[in-house]
Amino acid sequence: MIAVEDVSFAYGRTEAPVLDGFSASFAAGAVTAVTGGNGCGKTTLAKLIVGIERPLTGRVLVDGADIRPLSLAEIGRLVGCVYQNPTHQLFCTSVREEMAYGLRNLGLAEPEIAERTGHYLRYFDLLAHLEDFPPALSHGEKQRLMLAVVLSMRPGCVVLDEPTTGLDVVRRRALGAYLREVADDGVGVIVVSHERSFVARYADAEVRMADRRRAGSEDGPGPAAQRAAAGARGRG
Amino acid sequence: MMDLARFDPRPKMLLVLCISTLAVVWHDPVWLAGLLGSTVLVLMLGRVDPRSAARQVRGVLAAIAVLFIVQCVFVRSGDPLLSAGGVTLVTVDGVSVALGVSLRLLIVVCSALILLTGEARDYLLALVQCKVPYELAFMVMTAVHFLPILRGEAMDVYHAVQMRGTEIAKAGLGDKLRVYTRITLPIVAGAIKRAEQVSIAMEARAFRATPRRTFMRRLRLAPRDVASLIAVPLLAAAALAASLAA
Repeated sequence: MIAVEDVSFAYGRTEAPVLDGFSASFAAGAVTAVTGGNGCGKTTLAKLIVGIERPLTGRVLVDGADIRPLSLAEIGRLVGCVYQNPTHQLFCTSVREEMAYGLRNLGLAEPEIAERTGHYLRYFDLLAHLEDFPPALSHGEKQRLMLAVVLSMRPGCVVLDEPTTGLDVVRRRALGAYLREVADDGVGVIVVSHERSFVARYADAEVRMADRRRAGSEDGPGPAAQRAAAGARGRG
Repeated sequence: MMDLARFDPRPKMLLVLCISTLAVVWHDPVWLAGLLGSTVLVLMLGRVDPRSAARQVRGVLAAIAVLFIVQCVFVRSGDPLLSAGGVTLVTVDGVSVALGVSLRLLIVVCSALILLTGEARDYLLALVQCKVPYELAFMVMTAVHFLPILRGEAMDVYHAVQMRGTEIAKAGLGDKLRVYTRITLPIVAGAIKRAEQVSIAMEARAFRATPRRTFMRRLRLAPRDVASLIAVPLLAAAALAASLAA
């Protein structure tokens, strides 16, 4: 389980805070959607959860432990992350090598690496691309490869930033089904998305973020009052 | 005080060209230190935000430190400065060369900050008015525009590598170099792809459809710009002559 407690964050000392006293929790074994308008801080929240950015105040807890003293490599073993553009996460010369990179860093033996590689590539329908150059794959294939890479490291939670961008209806459904299966296996899935239909169909819970451009105006809460609104949702 | 942002781009480009030329020509760390000091003085007098400048310079300090160590270790000529068990580790020449290379890189970075006081479109206009072919000027400006994007992508990959279990901070020099090599792969692949996309977009918007391109605005030199255009090369020539005579 991941908990974000009273977190504030700004990109520069003189910049307005993107998050101000924000709190939310994300259950294990469930798909939780993080929603909100453009620029409300969804991606920043994702970066804070995976440790790429560090909160100015407040803390992020993974299974009850504060991630502040952990290195990115240590956080990566607990929380996996798939960027909005997975191209920036693929840095090996073949799909096979891409899969093995993180598993070798975990200290696994070669037979175990081969077994996990085969299992996850089969699961994500990528076995035929084993020797392909990752940047040459299609967007959907890159996304599935990154999911395979991240899940093969068996983290307790996975964060996906706008995973439906550029996917057609068929691929979107397939992705949703993959995420449901992953959650049913006990992994916490956090999906950052502003696509209402995807969220309504596949998320168990929703963390709605306030639009900070409207903060302080008549029809929006002030930054200090920004809070997550989490509520249960059916799977549809 | 002189606000660099109010200067025409041409004297600024000439100033950076002169500073960079001197940095390449000079090898003596003392002259290079003097040049670095002068460049910093120009930045201070030119009202460049010191915090922003410090941030930019801090970004290359790690690279400069690596360069310094590599030069110290691999330059074997000169009197020994540091030895262990009869083996010379660092020589006087090694430290001198390392200092020179490090200062040179710092000078290039600091002089580039002078260019950051202007708008990209003004530099494009300035290059065209200096009779540089528009296509070439546009290419240079496009490349400059993409640098922050490339930097952002490099940071994404850098984070991705770490999130897959690589402890870069604890890695040895060899492992660090291997990681940086990995980071270049998606960056280069992305840059090639983006170059293709930009060229298609430019063709689609009739780039080079007419042989002569006109501009709504023209840059005009103020007296201070003219004075700078004369003074900067004279000062650079005088400094070069003094260093050769010394």
